[in-house]
Amino acid sequence: MISFKNVNKWYGDLHVLNNIDLEIAAGEVVVVCGPSGSGKSTLIRCINRLEPIQEGELVVDNMAVHDKNTNMTKVRAEIGFVFQSFNLYPHMTALQNTTIAPIKVRKMKKADAEELGRETLARVGLKDRIYSYPAQLSGGQQQRVAIARGLCMNPKIMLFDEPTSALDPEMIGEVLDTIKMLAKGGMTLVVVTHEMGFAREVANRVVFMDDGHIVEVAPPIDFFTNAQTERGKAFLSSILSH
Amino acid sequence: MWSFYFHELMRSLPFFMKGVWMTVAVAGLSLIAGTVVGFICGIIRAGRNKILRAVIGVWVDIVRGTPFLVQIFIIFFILPGAGIELDAFSAAVIALSNLTASFICEIVAGGILSVPKGQREAATASGLSQYHQLRFIVLPQAMRTILPPLVGQYVLSIKDSSVVSAIGVVDITRVGWFTVQRIPEGIMVFGLVGLLYFAICYPLINLSGYLERRMTVMTIRL
Amino acid sequence: MLENFNFRVIWEYMPLYGQCFFATLWLSALSLLGAVLVGILACGMRLSQSRLLSWPAGIYIESIRSTPLLAQLYFFYFGLPSLGIMLPEWVTGVFALTLNSGAYYAEIIRSGIQAIHFGQIEAGISSGLSYFQRMRYIVLPQALGMTVRPMLGQAIVLVKDSSLLSLISIMELTRAGQLLTSERFMPAEGFLTTAAFYLVIYYLLKAFSNWSEKRLIFKEAF
Ligand SMILES: Nc1ncnc2c1ncn2[C@@H]1O[C@H](COP(=O)(O)OP(=O)(O)OP(=O)(O)O)[C@@H](O)[C@H]1O
Ligand SMILES: [Mg+2]
Repeated sequence: MISFKNVNKWYGDLHVLNNIDLEIAAGEVVVVCGPSGSGKSTLIRCINRLEPIQEGELVVDNMAVHDKNTNMTKVRAEIGFVFQSFNLYPHMTALQNTTIAPIKVRKMKKADAEELGRETLARVGLKDRIYSYPAQLSGGQQQRVAIARGLCMNPKIMLFDEPTSALDPEMIGEVLDTIKMLAKGGMTLVVVTHEMGFAREVANRVVFMDDGHIVEVAPPIDFFTNAQTERGKAFLSSILSH
Repeated sequence: MWSFYFHELMRSLPFFMKGVWMTVAVAGLSLIAGTVVGFICGIIRAGRNKILRAVIGVWVDIVRGTPFLVQIFIIFFILPGAGIELDAFSAAVIALSNLTASFICEIVAGGILSVPKGQREAATASGLSQYHQLRFIVLPQAMRTILPPLVGQYVLSIKDSSVVSAIGVVDITRVGWFTVQRIPEGIMVFGLVGLLYFAICYPLINLSGYLERRMTVMTIRL
Repeated sequence: MLENFNFRVIWEYMPLYGQCFFATLWLSALSLLGAVLVGILACGMRLSQSRLLSWPAGIYIESIRSTPLLAQLYFFYFGLPSLGIMLPEWVTGVFALTLNSGAYYAEIIRSGIQAIHFGQIEAGISSGLSYFQRMRYIVLPQALGMTVRPMLGQAIVLVKDSSLLSLISIMELTRAGQLLTSERFMPAEGFLTTAAFYLVIYYLLKAFSNWSEKRLIFKEAF
C-alpha cells in the first residue's frame, strides 16, 4: 500500500530522511516513534507530499508520489491526514469542516455530503456537536472532528501525526479509541505517537526512527521487551520513565 | 464684512457640491480599481512565485517611497511624453488607483500570511485545489485581518485624492482654492472644505474602528 | 522617452537638488520633532480623566484624521493672514505638518500604551516593583517595542507629505522638480530625480525600522 525505496530528503544541509526503506501492507497498522527531531513528522508528511522528497521512490496505492507529474489531488483523496494541532477551519462548523473537501474535491452534492458528514461525525461520537464551531469544542472533540474530516473522503489510508500530544490527559483516551475503531475496521494506518499502550494493543509493527534513519522495525511486543539497538533501548527507557 | 463673505460662501455652495461630486468620482473609481488590483497583487505577493513576489515588492516600495504629489506629476507630465495622452481626470484616477492598489496589496498579503500554515496544510491534505484553498479556507480567515486596515486605507485614499487638485482637477480642495481667491476668508472657506471631507471620512474611520474591535473579539473567541 | 533622458541637465541642477534635499530633510526633522511632542501631549490629554482635557484632544485628533493634509495646509496658509497673522511660508508649512502628524502620533502612542495588558502591571505591583520600575521595565519597553514600526512609518509619511509644501512655494525636493519642469520643460528629468531622492530617504528609514525592530525584540527577550 505504501512503499518507501531508498528515500532521501534534505532541508538545506540537514539530512532529515536518510535512505528510508519501508513497506506497509494494506490493512496494516504501523506506529512510528523516536526522539524529537528524528524525522517522524517528515516521514509521514512525505506520504501525501506535504513535503516533497529529493531522492528515491515513494509509491502509494500504485501511484508514484515521488513523480512530479503525478496528480496529487487523486493521491490525497485516498489519504486522510490528522495533525497534532488539529488544524480545523475556525470559520466553519464541525459539519462544514467535514463536507468542504467531499463537495469541492469529490464533487459530491451538498445534501449527500452533509448526510455523509453527519454519519461520520456520529461514528466518532459527535452526533450532537455537528453545528458547533471548533472554538466551542474541547481539544478531544476537535481532534475527533479532524478525524471525521479525514474519514469523509473515504480514504484507504489514514495518517496521524502525534494526534494526542496536544491534548489534556483525560481526552487522550477518547481519541485513541476512535483510532482503534478504525484499526479494527481494517484501514491502513500510520500513527506517529509515543502512546506505547496504544501501540502494543493495535499496532502490527513499530518503526523506531532516530536522526533521519529507520533504526528498528519490529512487532510491538518484540520492540518493547527486547529492543535490538542501544538507541532503541535508550529511547524506551526515556519514555517509560515518565 | 464677515457676514457678507459668509453669504457669498453660501451662494457658492453649488460649486462646492460639484467639487464633492468630483472627489467622490475620483476616489470612488480609484478605490474600486485599487481594490481589485490590490487583491490580485496581494494574493500573488503571498504566493510562491519568487520572481513575481520580488517584482511586486519593488513596485510597492517605489509607490510607498515617493510622495503622491510626485507620482501624479510623473503620470500627468511624463506619460504624454511616452505617447499616452491623458486628461487631468484620467491621470488622477490612474495615480490614485496605483497608490491605493499598492497599499491594499500589502494589507492583503499580510492578511493571507497571518493565516496559520496548518490551515493550508490541512486543506492540501484533503486534496483541495490551490484556488479552493484560497477561496474557502484562507481568504475567509484572512478577511478578519484585512478588513479594518482596508477601510482605513479607503479613508487615506479619499484624503489623498485632495492632492489631485494640483494638476487642476476641480475637486473639493480645488474649489476651495478658487473660492479663496474671491472670498479672502481662508478659515471660513477651508473650514467648509474640511467639513465636507469630514462628512465623508469620519463615518468610514468609525467603521474601521468598529470592524477592528469586532474582529479582535471574534478572533479571541475563536 | 528615456532614451533621450538628459543627464547633463540633472547634473546642472544638482546643486539646487542638493540644497532642496537638505531643505526637505530639515523641514521634516523639525516637523517630526514637533509632531512627537504634540503627539505625547495630545495622547496624555486624551487619556486623562478630566473631560476638559480629553475632549479638546479628541476633537483635535479626530478632525485632523478626517481631513486631508492639503486642506489643512491651505486652511493655515490662507486662514492665518485673514486673522491678521503673517508668517513666512515655511513656518506655516512646518506648523501644518506638525499639527497633522501630531494627531497620528497621539494615536500611535495611545495604542502602544493600551496594548499592554493590565495584568502585567498588576504582576509588577505584586512583585513589589515601584511605579518608576514598572514604567521602566514593563510598560515603556513594550510600548516602545510595539510602536517603533508605526512611529517610523509615520516619519516616512511625514517626509512624503512635506512635498505638499511645494504647493505653497516652499523650496524643497518637489519644488526643484517643478522648477526644472517649468524652466526647461523637462518633467521626466525633473520629477524622476525628485522621486529618486525621496526613495533614498525611504530606504534609509525602512532599513532603520527593520534594524531597530530586531534590536528591540532581541532586548525584550531578556
Ligand atoms: N520546514 C523545515 N525546514 C527546515 N528544517 C525542518 C523543517 N521541518 C522540520 N525540520 C527539521 O527536520 C528535522 C526533523 O523534523 P520532524 O518534524 O520530522 O521531527 P519529528 O521527529 O516529527 O520531531 P517531533 O517529535 O519534535 O515532532 C528536525 O531537525 C527539524 O528541525
Ligand atoms: Mg513531529
